[in-house]
Amino acid sequence: MATKQQSYKIYKRRQKRVPYLFLAPNLLIFSIFIIFPAILGIYYSFTDVNLFHMDEYSFIGLQNYIDVFSDEDFMGSLWNTVLLVIVTFPILFTFALTLAMLVIKPLKAKGFFRSAYYWPVMISAIVVGIIWNWLLGGRFGMFNTIWTGLGFEASDTLVNPTFAWLSVVLAIVWSRAGYYMIIFMAALLSIPTSLYEAADVDGANKWQKFWGVTWPSLRAARLMVVILAVMEIFKTYPIVVKLTGGGPLDTTTFTVQYIYETAFKTQYDVGLASAMSVVMLVLVTGISAANFFINRGGTD
Amino acid sequence: MKRRATVWDYIFAIILVAFFLFPVLYIVFSAFKTTNELFSATPTFFPKEISFTNIINTFNDEDFLLYIWNSFFVAVTSTILAVLVNTMSGYALAKFKFKGSSIIMMIILSTIMLPLEIIMVPIFSVLRFFGLYNTFAALIIPPAATPTGIFLMRQSLVTIPDDLLESARIDGASEWQIFTRIIIPNAKPAIATLAIFSFMWRWNDYIWPLIAIRDPEKRTLQLHIATMTGQFGSDYGPIISASVISMVPMLIIFLIFQRQFVQGTVSTGMKG
Repeated sequence: MATKQQSYKIYKRRQKRVPYLFLAPNLLIFSIFIIFPAILGIYYSFTDVNLFHMDEYSFIGLQNYIDVFSDEDFMGSLWNTVLLVIVTFPILFTFALTLAMLVIKPLKAKGFFRSAYYWPVMISAIVVGIIWNWLLGGRFGMFNTIWTGLGFEASDTLVNPTFAWLSVVLAIVWSRAGYYMIIFMAALLSIPTSLYEAADVDGANKWQKFWGVTWPSLRAARLMVVILAVMEIFKTYPIVVKLTGGGPLDTTTFTVQYIYETAFKTQYDVGLASAMSVVMLVLVTGISAANFFINRGGTD
Repeated sequence: MKRRATVWDYIFAIILVAFFLFPVLYIVFSAFKTTNELFSATPTFFPKEISFTNIINTFNDEDFLLYIWNSFFVAVTSTILAVLVNTMSGYALAKFKFKGSSIIMMIILSTIMLPLEIIMVPIFSVLRFFGLYNTFAALIIPPAATPTGIFLMRQSLVTIPDDLLESARIDGASEWQIFTRIIIPNAKPAIATLAIFSFMWRWNDYIWPLIAIRDPEKRTLQLHIATMTGQFGSDYGPIISASVISMVPMLIIFLIFQRQFVQGTVSTGMKG
């Protein structure tokens, strides 16, 4: 009997290790390629480490942060990114929700509509940039042909800073709306029909049903979309590579591009670029946390 | 919800189809136009005469085939790795109670807040430190572990009955046998979803190759397209045909696996 008990103990002890072993590969990758770089980035941000001399560097205290906050171009790109979030997010959110409410209606061929709206999600950001550049760009591009055909004067399109900036908004909304549509769609379909029936009994109109039933039921999906979409717009870079290249005159240069260029293209200043990353990280995390608490606290 | 679809809904839906599909169709048709037509002062939507010159020229470029192969190789191997490690983690989190599980969940959650774009500078030096800079391994291993993948697998594996695992244990099956013979076969739909998403992420990826790859012959297709000039020059044909060709695999996958795309977005979105 003793041996049986013993072997059961050994089995139990072994069994305890199992989940850790199954988690090990993932945690190893996370630690090496996400957690450790994040800490390393904070460390670098207090040094003058340079791309070409990554082993020789000295600590320079808060100098990088002083430089970051006095770098008008960086602060400009940061403000530009925040503005992009402020302008793009509400459009993307409303549009995705509108699409979702449309495709849950009993339309014939709704599968086709869903697929058509989702299709741009599958296109790489680089190619999305190329598509819209090809459509909008140039005196004799498709856009100008339609535009002048409607009786307007030919536009400078992507050479015009405002036009170029808005084209980034358009490209983001076009390529991402389908993704958030699906999240909203699933949430809408899981709202119990009885809630709407009860609202009907109470004589609620469409608008009252939306604000009284639909909107509160979407709380989890809304929070999800807010956090994912804000984060995503904050990271905007690949989509502009071929759309505007960050121009004209840096008007569509956003933070990630600026950080990338500081480290790898213009100054090769890894320390400074790391300080910029830390600033961006604090901002993004702060906004995500704020969203989380506002949405949690607001409706409970 | 029993709302009826009105005529206006159809009109609205069709206008939206045009909005989403017109840009794609325009560039696809453009890939089959002659250079003259591409640069005519009045652009056309449909090609006047169908020309395969640009598509053929693109495929005749040996480097282009290499980039397609690189992208394909990276996407497939990274996807296999992603399925393996994320299913393993999903299993541990779904079917075991253990010390530190909440801390591990916190760590996984926190990695969502640390996107590559924000930590790309130190990642570059980590890749160099491990000798992974300028290797395919840098494009395959680090992105394979994704919090989204773990959540997706966890949600799917929670539904496997514990009795099934217990009876296998009583029969003397090892944990690895349980994993390969019970867990994986029972998680096939979720695995398919994860595999499709992983392939798409890797195939379309730009930032990882941008940071990790230096040699031109190791470029992925997206990195290559991004470095192609022609945007402001006279030769727009090659970049258009390369872009269109790069969309084809995703189109095929999408047409075959539409349901998995919807499910993947829903389950990672809603339950993560």
